[in-house]
Amino acid sequence: MNRFIRTILVAVVVALLAVPALADTLKVGVQAPITGSYANEGQGIENGVRLLAEQINAKGGVMGKKIEVIACDDQGTAMAAAICAKDLVNKGVSMVIGSYTSTCAEAAQKTYFNAGVLQTSDGTADSLTEKGYWTFLRNSFPNSAEAEFVANYLVKVKKYKRIVVISDFSTYADGLANATQAAIKKLGGKVVSRDKIKADSQNFTPVLTNIKSKNPDAIFFAGYYSDGGQLRAQQKALGIKADFYGGDANDNPDFVKLAGSAAQGAFIINVPSPDVLPYDIAKTFIADYQKKYGEMPPSIWGLMNIDGMRAIIHAMEQNKSFDTKKAADYLHNMKKPLPGITGPITFAKDGNRNGGAYVVKRIKADGTYANEYVQ
Amino acid sequence: MKSMQRFGYPVFFVVMAGLPHLLNSRWQAVAITFLIFSVVALSQDIVLGKSGMFNMGQALFFGIGAYTTAILNAQFGWPLLATIPLAILIPAVFGVILAGPIVHLRGDYLLVTTIGFNIVFVQVVQNNLGGITGGPNGIFGLDSLSFFGVQLLSQVAVYYFAFAVLLLTLWIMHNLEGSKPGRALHYLREDQLAAESIGINTRIYKIFAFALSAGIAGLAGTVFATQYSAVSPEAFNFMQSVLFFSIVIVGGSSVPGVLIGVFVMFVLPEIFREFATWRFFIFGFAMIAAMILRPRGIWPATFGKIPRFLIKENNHGA
Amino acid sequence: MDIFLQQLANGLTIGSMFALVALGYTMVYGVMRLINFAHGDMVAASAFVGLTIYTQVMGQATSLMAVIAIFLLAALSMAVVGIILERIAYRPLRGAPRLSAVVSALGASLVIQNGIMLIWGPRMRIFPELVPQVYWDFGGVVISLIQVIILVLSLVLMISLYLFVEKTRMGAAIRASSIDQDAARLMGINVNSIIALIFIIGSSLGAVGGLFIGLYYRGITFNMGWQYGLYAFIAAIIGGIGNIPGAMLGGMLLGLFNAFIAGYVSSTWADAFTFILLIVILIVRPTGILGERVAEKV
Repeated sequence: MNRFIRTILVAVVVALLAVPALADTLKVGVQAPITGSYANEGQGIENGVRLLAEQINAKGGVMGKKIEVIACDDQGTAMAAAICAKDLVNKGVSMVIGSYTSTCAEAAQKTYFNAGVLQTSDGTADSLTEKGYWTFLRNSFPNSAEAEFVANYLVKVKKYKRIVVISDFSTYADGLANATQAAIKKLGGKVVSRDKIKADSQNFTPVLTNIKSKNPDAIFFAGYYSDGGQLRAQQKALGIKADFYGGDANDNPDFVKLAGSAAQGAFIINVPSPDVLPYDIAKTFIADYQKKYGEMPPSIWGLMNIDGMRAIIHAMEQNKSFDTKKAADYLHNMKKPLPGITGPITFAKDGNRNGGAYVVKRIKADGTYANEYVQ
Repeated sequence: MKSMQRFGYPVFFVVMAGLPHLLNSRWQAVAITFLIFSVVALSQDIVLGKSGMFNMGQALFFGIGAYTTAILNAQFGWPLLATIPLAILIPAVFGVILAGPIVHLRGDYLLVTTIGFNIVFVQVVQNNLGGITGGPNGIFGLDSLSFFGVQLLSQVAVYYFAFAVLLLTLWIMHNLEGSKPGRALHYLREDQLAAESIGINTRIYKIFAFALSAGIAGLAGTVFATQYSAVSPEAFNFMQSVLFFSIVIVGGSSVPGVLIGVFVMFVLPEIFREFATWRFFIFGFAMIAAMILRPRGIWPATFGKIPRFLIKENNHGA
Repeated sequence: MDIFLQQLANGLTIGSMFALVALGYTMVYGVMRLINFAHGDMVAASAFVGLTIYTQVMGQATSLMAVIAIFLLAALSMAVVGIILERIAYRPLRGAPRLSAVVSALGASLVIQNGIMLIWGPRMRIFPELVPQVYWDFGGVVISLIQVIILVLSLVLMISLYLFVEKTRMGAAIRASSIDQDAARLMGINVNSIIALIFIIGSSLGAVGGLFIGLYYRGITFNMGWQYGLYAFIAAIIGGIGNIPGAMLGGMLLGLFNAFIAGYVSSTWADAFTFILLIVILIVRPTGILGERVAEKV
């Protein structure tokens, strides 16, 4: 009798395990802020993933399986991200692309790890790779790399004496600002004020008025473009002469639109933008993207995520297996870099992407960028 | 109403008890959401519908409960189920402290004050007071449900946890109706002056209603934190309170009405995914239409077992 | 000292926007004893309508005439929306229980807010830079042209409204209706047209407030109405709900309170302090600063 029950149990387990294997598509989840303040970026990620899936499917799919894209809108909020993570896992995805914000990537991390689902995000918060989850692959470069670049540029290159560092409360912005502040101190620079603003609150004049009294010569804002543009406009309106530097998440066309004529002369620090990417694969992909959607990708972050997806699929093909653990092992140990849209891709053992170079861009009167300093 | 009690409830309970075995994991999650929000809406009904106090901050107590569970679990390593007593007690204590100075305010002022409490709460957790609320990201990565050391990883376990909480809530509300405080609250809703003149201490009973309602909402918060293994400020913002408020009034402050309201607000949008963006637009119109056509709600409550002739004239409540 | 003056200038700018919006709440509440939850969303809608008028009707012209035309057209459209709103969502519920009217108002708010989202999309839209960025520096205190415009125009509008309500026959009818609707009706006042008039005035003032938000902050989102609406409503309560000069005073005070708390205490706690102020006022002096005691209608 006992044996009989055990046989049945084994049969049931095998049947349950076999069901997903029988499915004839490779399910790819997209977790991105498709609505909300960062909708621009979220839609860019979803569009990019759908385009890549279409291209791969046109060539016969991945080892004979077509890719099925399942998108979930995390609205840029942690709660919605946690719900998305459960939802995508329930729908049986084997990898998830996104999210745009570190907060959302972090809120979803544990769920994907428990389910053995690979996750690749452009989130730059250092904490994302500090938990030791083998499922997480960062397709951008961590905050600490940017912080060191920013500190070096402000203190050593431009020799600012009185620097203000501002962030909002999000994982990414707070982390970047703290890392930058520490790096500036290490280089002997002086941070005269470290302020925090509430994202989306529009009225930053009270904080800026206090900053004005500290008489700074440079302001580094580590938050997102939707606040950065308004912050820049209000800085000018209050007559604060300091040079304005926006961190990577300010690199979005809406920054210039929000700041209006005040945008001129502000600086943005980021990895090189999509239109100047020297790689052939970048040029073709961006051309295809423009053909399909009638616009440029909103920023480089969507393309970073596409590279993450390409890397995972590459690993599966190299392994000739859809096993996610094997794919992660392959990526953590890959010797020969995969040519990517945003540069050669390799990963460190902790899931961080190797490499990373930054540029400082000045916003010109017509709203376009001029490269000020290239690492 | 009689036939509803005799046949409706047993059918509902049997269906709900068997439901998770008929659903795949996605719909189980939807069903759990339905159960959680039903409990919160019913707890809101105690203050708003049963006692007639304009409370538009129920998400506050829901949130305090959820945060209590999340903090105890994530920061202090308590098992989720062990947090239940505090997740009920802390919101209830807040209910007493916050309601104390304001229960005497008249309708609209009470409404705005409770909105205020809700917004202050969200700001407190967003600003990471005391370094334990996780700021705007909230707290994520909570443990899964475990019972005497046995891990209950499946969603079905969470479902039955939520279902048990709903049954408990219904039982409390059923008993409340016939009890002394329940009758007192009913009188003071109908006519506060009269209630006071027959010796009901309205202030005590009003605060009691807040505390009871807060405790139940707090328990729902524990289930919420368990289901999503995360809490974050925007899940308890005042928009949520507005929804619970509307559900109770549109539902007519009766159990079936409130459950229908929760179903319409939270389950229908899952069924009609393609209308997701139209959801609130349609609900807005539905709310206006429902109030114009049935100002007392789609399924108005009738008051318990007390004979009709007793409700208006008799000095039964003291 | 110049920090103090700078915060003062900022506070007055924000405060006058709150005051304009608060007038809509307080006038409706005065006559109908109803919190018009949809008012904040109409403020947001006005900014979007203004944006569309600018791009579609004006062909992106930035002359002074174009700006005036945008203000007039947006105020006119919001006045129409206000009348429709009152007809559909509020008039049928005048005899109904208080809570039914509150829910209907919440429903109307959802309809307008999500209507904006369906028409203009969920993304932040960016308002054109219609007022040139001109600044004057008064010994460390910087005032911008847009701030001056907002302050002066709000004051002009508020003073004219005050004179209208206090000095004209129609104003007297509004005051009479807000004291006692039935008595006003007996005196031959058409309360229905008074209510329509109130919605026209309140909505157009709110529309101007919405355009100010667009011009000043530039970024507009479909759900921003809640935030401004709530603040404006608090301003109305602080001043004494139902009281027109009270709403103006309340708006200005709230703007200043907010600016000073954010400047001197903490910008991240400003909302919390605002509500604590509100709760304290409601407990200590529930009728607000200028309000008179109104008996609860039973």
